[in-house]
Amino acid sequence: MSADSISVIRVHDVLLITVPPDPDDETIAVLQEKVLLAMQRFEAKGLVLDISTVETVDSYFARTIAETSSMVALMGGNTVIAGMQASVAITVTQLGLTLGNTRTALDVDRALGMLQTAGLRRIQ
Amino acid sequence: MTDCHDGQININGESDIVSVRKTTREAARSIGFGVTDVTRIVTAVSELARNVCLYAGTGVMRWRGLLSHSKPAGIEITFEDHGPGIPDVDQAMRQGFTTSGGLGMGLPGAERLMGEMEIQTEQGKGTTITVRKWLRAI
Repeated sequence: MSADSISVIRVHDVLLITVPPDPDDETIAVLQEKVLLAMQRFEAKGLVLDISTVETVDSYFARTIAETSSMVALMGGNTVIAGMQASVAITVTQLGLTLGNTRTALDVDRALGMLQTAGLRRIQ
Repeated sequence: MTDCHDGQININGESDIVSVRKTTREAARSIGFGVTDVTRIVTAVSELARNVCLYAGTGVMRWRGLLSHSKPAGIEITFEDHGPGIPDVDQAMRQGFTTSGGLGMGLPGAERLMGEMEIQTEQGKGTTITVRKWLRAI
């Protein structure tokens, strides 16, 4: 799976990134940089990482996602991980991994909703 | 039917981890594992293959289907490398212990996901790790 195939879609103030099904380490590293540069370029308030097609989350993947979320937070953004498959959730937990403080949602729709709510709360 | 129930794949670098996962996913499916067990097995081999890359640089993964009363009963996967070996296996099996700056989840995590793990290691000679998972009896 080539890193070039990762597309960043802008939905209002939020970036939506669909992670390819079986990314290698290089692709995950490129994805991290791509996300952070896009945050800066589009002045985005948040990021949704759609992992609904991802079938394997190992410790490297989980660590990079948690790291990316921390980096996005340093840039003032919120990250929501969307669509983790049931079998992946079971495996990640048994492996002993966590995604740090990264928030999660069942699907992209709910993730976008969470980020909009977060924005509204800040304004009030 | 059992002809194709073994195989091997060389690990020459991190880019081979994807091939290791793909091969293992197809093998585990063909043996009859369900989606959650396939995910457990693929995740465990991903950790073990990465250890080969991190510590030894290169190695080989071999897998074979396990039979019971001539029916598919499980999978056995072996990772062999000629790296530096593991100085202290008990320490390496402890959750959170790492010498590579990783999370220290690989070995204990892989054992939990697979159920059975054997480690043969000799300093300066290399490491062979064998993991097994059995189909759940229905």
